[in-house]
Amino acid sequence: MSDTGHTVKSYAEEMQSLNDDLVKMGSLTESQLADAMEAVIKLDKESVDKIVKNDSKINALRSAIDNQITTVLVKRAPMAVDLRITISTMKISHDLERIGDLAKSVAKKVTPLPIDLPDELVNSLRRLGDLVQKQLKDVLDAYLNNSKEKAVEIWRKDEQVDDLTNLAMNEVANYLQKDKKNLEVATHLLFVTKNIERAGDHITNIAESLYYLIEGEYLEGARPKGKPLDS
Amino acid sequence: MELNNSKIKIKSKNLNVYYGNKQALHNINLEINNKEVTALIGPSGCGKSTFIRCINRMNDTIDICKVDGSIEIDGKEVNDKNVDVVTLREKIGMVFQKPNPFPKSIYDNIAYGPTIHGIGEKKDEMDKIVETSLKKAALWDEVKDRLNEPGTGLSGGQQQRLCIARALSVNPEVILMDEPCSALDPIATAKIEELIDDLKKSYTIVIVTHSMAQAVRVSQKTGFFHLGKIIEVDTTEKIFKNPANKMTQDYITGRFG
Repeated sequence: MSDTGHTVKSYAEEMQSLNDDLVKMGSLTESQLADAMEAVIKLDKESVDKIVKNDSKINALRSAIDNQITTVLVKRAPMAVDLRITISTMKISHDLERIGDLAKSVAKKVTPLPIDLPDELVNSLRRLGDLVQKQLKDVLDAYLNNSKEKAVEIWRKDEQVDDLTNLAMNEVANYLQKDKKNLEVATHLLFVTKNIERAGDHITNIAESLYYLIEGEYLEGARPKGKPLDS
Repeated sequence: MELNNSKIKIKSKNLNVYYGNKQALHNINLEINNKEVTALIGPSGCGKSTFIRCINRMNDTIDICKVDGSIEIDGKEVNDKNVDVVTLREKIGMVFQKPNPFPKSIYDNIAYGPTIHGIGEKKDEMDKIVETSLKKAALWDEVKDRLNEPGTGLSGGQQQRLCIARALSVNPEVILMDEPCSALDPIATAKIEELIDDLKKSYTIVIVTHSMAQAVRVSQKTGFFHLGKIIEVDTTEKIFKNPANKMTQDYITGRFG
């Protein structure tokens, strides 16, 4: 992302290090989300601990990036594209950290789930999870390729995330309607669904930060919204 | 034509400046807004000081310097043969990099300008001018009890404010500042910047600065000069957050050369 044309080499190195840490953080977050989704789909309770533990690696990188940014701000008073890289890196790292938290929460919900969930339910979660994972991969690729077109595309696609969220929520509602004893499990599943959807929202934030980084302007217009639940 | 012509105080059109055979400015077209601070930035030798010296015809004092093209203040050509340079410079005050008070008392430093322009002949009138000018330059409280002491005895920052007060004493409309803070410590710099904020309510200010942070802090409009050409002019916010020209970006982010 950052070219290394600074007259002061150490400035270029600081910007490069920010970039490297953000890329590392992105890739860790991507695996965390993938692992959490796999745990839900396969109802794999064994992997929960590992996912919960790994979250601290993401948090540590967030803190490291925050520290580096404070140093860059005070040492370099970055201007123009450097300023935008600094500000956007800070925002993107916070969104990645939140996605990491949400992946952890999703994984933790696997423990109380029964292993014989209906296929429709699992499938609806899988579809939503696949799309959000694709969105995260795409936004990280867009960052690496400095692509504002991709950023806009990903930003628009959040509408589909909302639609799949509504479908998954409907499946949970059906499951609950079948038997009131399903209430506890249904509640967990609603949290899982909502957390995946919120990860999607953070991905949209990242797309916005990336667009600002590249264009120096904010993505205009209201964020796309999916259809309401009962339509 | 510009829609809000009245907003423009100074306007240069195809301004070229030569020092002997060397061309220092190439076709400068620049508009300076009234009662605003315009910052000029660019590497050393890029022509920004030469440009501001055209505004009050300071380049007249250099024999080998030749100016062509136009520079207007309130729509009137500065380079016109009928323009009286003394009157022009009364209208356009200038402050330099190194504070340069006269080797006279604080009082006389201020009184000098009005005297040569035939203003404030009565003692109480002159007292008033000295007080008002020093107050406008935020120096009065620090020097009111020692007006007869030499101006050169003040600290660097105070000397620079004395020079600003001296410029203000003849009621200028424009103040040109050529790196006014480069010889000052951060506190003295902050005082000058605070003063600039205040002065822009009444005066049009053009400031040449090597400090990007200062340009961002004090100005509303910024022009970037490079090798005698103006590369980009825009609002200060646009220049420092998202400049349109790559050369501007490379300069302000420290990627030059």
